[in-house]
Amino acid sequence: MDEKVAVVGINYAQGDDLGLTRERLCFQTVKGLLVQLGIDRHAIDSFILASNDFLEGRTISNVFEDGPVGAYLKDETKVEMDGINAVVYGALRILEGSYDTVMVVAHSLCGHQVSPYLQVQYSLDPTYDRQLGLLNELSGAALQARSYLRRNGLDEGWLDQAAARELAAGAANEKVTRPLQGMDEGKVGSSPFLYEPLRELHCYPPTDGACAIVLASAGKARELTDKPVWIKGFGSSIDSYYITHRDLTVSSSAAEAARRAYAMAGITDPEVQIGLAEISGLFAHQTPMLIEALGLAPEGEAPRGFAQGSFGREARLPVNPSGGALSAHPVCATGAVRVAEAFRQLRGEAGAVQAGEPRLAVAHGQDGLCMQQNTVLVLGI
Amino acid sequence: MRNVAIVGVGYCPVFVSKRNDVSIPEMISEAIHNAYLNCGLTPENVDAFTFGNMHTFEGVNMPHLWSIDHLTALGKPIMRIATGGTTGMSAFHCAYYHVASGLYDVVMTITFEKHSEGDAQVGLAGIITPEIMTVLSLGIDLTGGSGMGGLGGGSAGGISFQATSYLHHSGAGIEHIDAQAALERRNAAKNPYAHLKDPECTAEKIAQTPLVSYPIRYGHICPTTDGATVCILASEDKAAKIADKAAWIHAVANCTTDATTGNLIEGLITDPAEQMSCQLAAKRAYERAGIEDPRKEIDLVEIYNGFAHQTLMFLEKLGLCEVGEAHKMLERGETEIDGRLPVNASGGVVSTNSIGTSALNRVTECALQIMGKAEGGHQVPKKVRKALAHGWGGLMQYNTVTILGDAPLKR
Repeated sequence: MDEKVAVVGINYAQGDDLGLTRERLCFQTVKGLLVQLGIDRHAIDSFILASNDFLEGRTISNVFEDGPVGAYLKDETKVEMDGINAVVYGALRILEGSYDTVMVVAHSLCGHQVSPYLQVQYSLDPTYDRQLGLLNELSGAALQARSYLRRNGLDEGWLDQAAARELAAGAANEKVTRPLQGMDEGKVGSSPFLYEPLRELHCYPPTDGACAIVLASAGKARELTDKPVWIKGFGSSIDSYYITHRDLTVSSSAAEAARRAYAMAGITDPEVQIGLAEISGLFAHQTPMLIEALGLAPEGEAPRGFAQGSFGREARLPVNPSGGALSAHPVCATGAVRVAEAFRQLRGEAGAVQAGEPRLAVAHGQDGLCMQQNTVLVLGI
Repeated sequence: MRNVAIVGVGYCPVFVSKRNDVSIPEMISEAIHNAYLNCGLTPENVDAFTFGNMHTFEGVNMPHLWSIDHLTALGKPIMRIATGGTTGMSAFHCAYYHVASGLYDVVMTITFEKHSEGDAQVGLAGIITPEIMTVLSLGIDLTGGSGMGGLGGGSAGGISFQATSYLHHSGAGIEHIDAQAALERRNAAKNPYAHLKDPECTAEKIAQTPLVSYPIRYGHICPTTDGATVCILASEDKAAKIADKAAWIHAVANCTTDATTGNLIEGLITDPAEQMSCQLAAKRAYERAGIEDPRKEIDLVEIYNGFAHQTLMFLEKLGLCEVGEAHKMLERGETEIDGRLPVNASGGVVSTNSIGTSALNRVTECALQIMGKAEGGHQVPKKVRKALAHGWGGLMQYNTVTILGDAPLKR
């Protein structure tokens, strides 16, 4: 897709306890972005929220954000999925032609108010899986981690390396929940097991967060910013609910989503063409799995890439210089934050975590047990 | 933007209180199967899906994940939308934007609600629980009259303020709400996909049902229904190839206002019968559809009416008659199936409410009327060229509008 839809501004906040109500958090995030762009709410034609009624603890929760985000007397809708899908919906609305600007607002308060694991538990088959309790987000992820390790002939200690890599990257990012300084394999490996082989620091931290993104049509984008970041392509796909029907060592839906996004963006060799990746790997093994699924390394080769430093901040293809979802995972906002982080990188505004001068970036978001659903977005400057 | 058509509609076989014979995914798959049969398409033809229900009613979070294997959507893009009572139409609008963007040719919208596996009133009461907690924490007494809206149970308690305000401003009486409810029960009797049916229903019969919260009687209130509805949309090029009949989308619009507890508790801040968001959504829809005088150009209406007074109230808010005229149109029989402007020929939401489907059913009913495919005797005798579908929900302040036509809009 050529220059039709642009990301013109982003603003986000993440933390283990932001100490804000949802309304206040959304208001501050949106207001901050409007001020940054020098516009008011009347410059926005359409609002797309991403949140989850289950996490909000009330049904039809979107209507309580209509005031805080400035959507009243305007068009507002809610995508009840990871926020990257709300960005996709925003792009579709602009392509349709009725709207020149769309405000995407994704948020949740999973840091201290709600156990984040519950939302996956309650998405399971209510008769068998949920009642028995054997299958849950952590046990599923642990099975997936073991499958991946076994296929690649890796031992459990390798997870420590993979997690330490992302946590160390996140240490430099002032925007994350756990900027753990001096993180190394030893420290990760001595954190307690949550579900073998997954230790606490192999898993995402409970996080509060919100992310606001303004999208604009080509003409409007150039009015709003000198440096629009263009949406080049997107794709999504979903796997079977039943993990027994899937090959847990790969993510076929992430691969399919990436194929669709790359086809739209005209990318034929992602490993060479993509200059930055922001991936929602919620557990230490998922980022390498997704690197492979997104075609950024051949299947089974991501661990070797890690060992060679291929995905570090100084490398040609930095992956998660932000620290990724292991450093902050505000459910629903995480994928939108990946888009925001890619936006900062492409504009050279990522400060301490800036990773070279990427021209083309890929952002990824996921939902469901063991990455059941995946969405991939390609951005370029 | 390109023209988009509705080419297929599928309902599950019956809309009833309890579908004990099927699970949630099975019930949805019935409607999907019927949608494919309705238009002769197969799953290979569908490029993307949108999905809507309100998961607080069954207690399964994001149920598209659990039911995906039964949706013919494995490996396809699927987007879940949830906006309350309007969910069905919001998911439909999302599908419209998919096709109109030019990126997808055929998109399926899937909606359902299986109320028998949950408790709708608990879910609905949960909307304002945080507000009630706040009010209580401030020491405000909620046991008196001012608390009835919040504590009257789900939406029926709060809605009584809206109905009272409507009656006050329109000059209608409770007997008109009775008559409207009776009309819809009679229409529902002709619709095989309606829930509460009574071919002999009269205003007098409704008037004998108990008062729930003045002026709302038991007979004015929607049931909780199990049901699923599916709609297939296609681009103009594709529709020409695959559809024998189609209904064309001329406009979609949506508007919200601020949700405040004042809306619910005695209308302290805004009048819950004002429905500014409905007026604005309708205005935008008419503009986009090139409609200058909706009273002359709209042939048929499907209104979201969880409660019978809303049919009359929204006719006014949608600009389809003057304020205070809707109940007179009812008296004159103009809104009957064979009337000048048939309103809720399907029996409306007040006769059938499986919430995720309810706002989509307004659209699919308009589409079937345009195609001449409405079953069971509720097809209107007049030729329907343009029809308006309305959705309502949120905390009484969120409205969606879709305008359909019998031919593509010349852009």
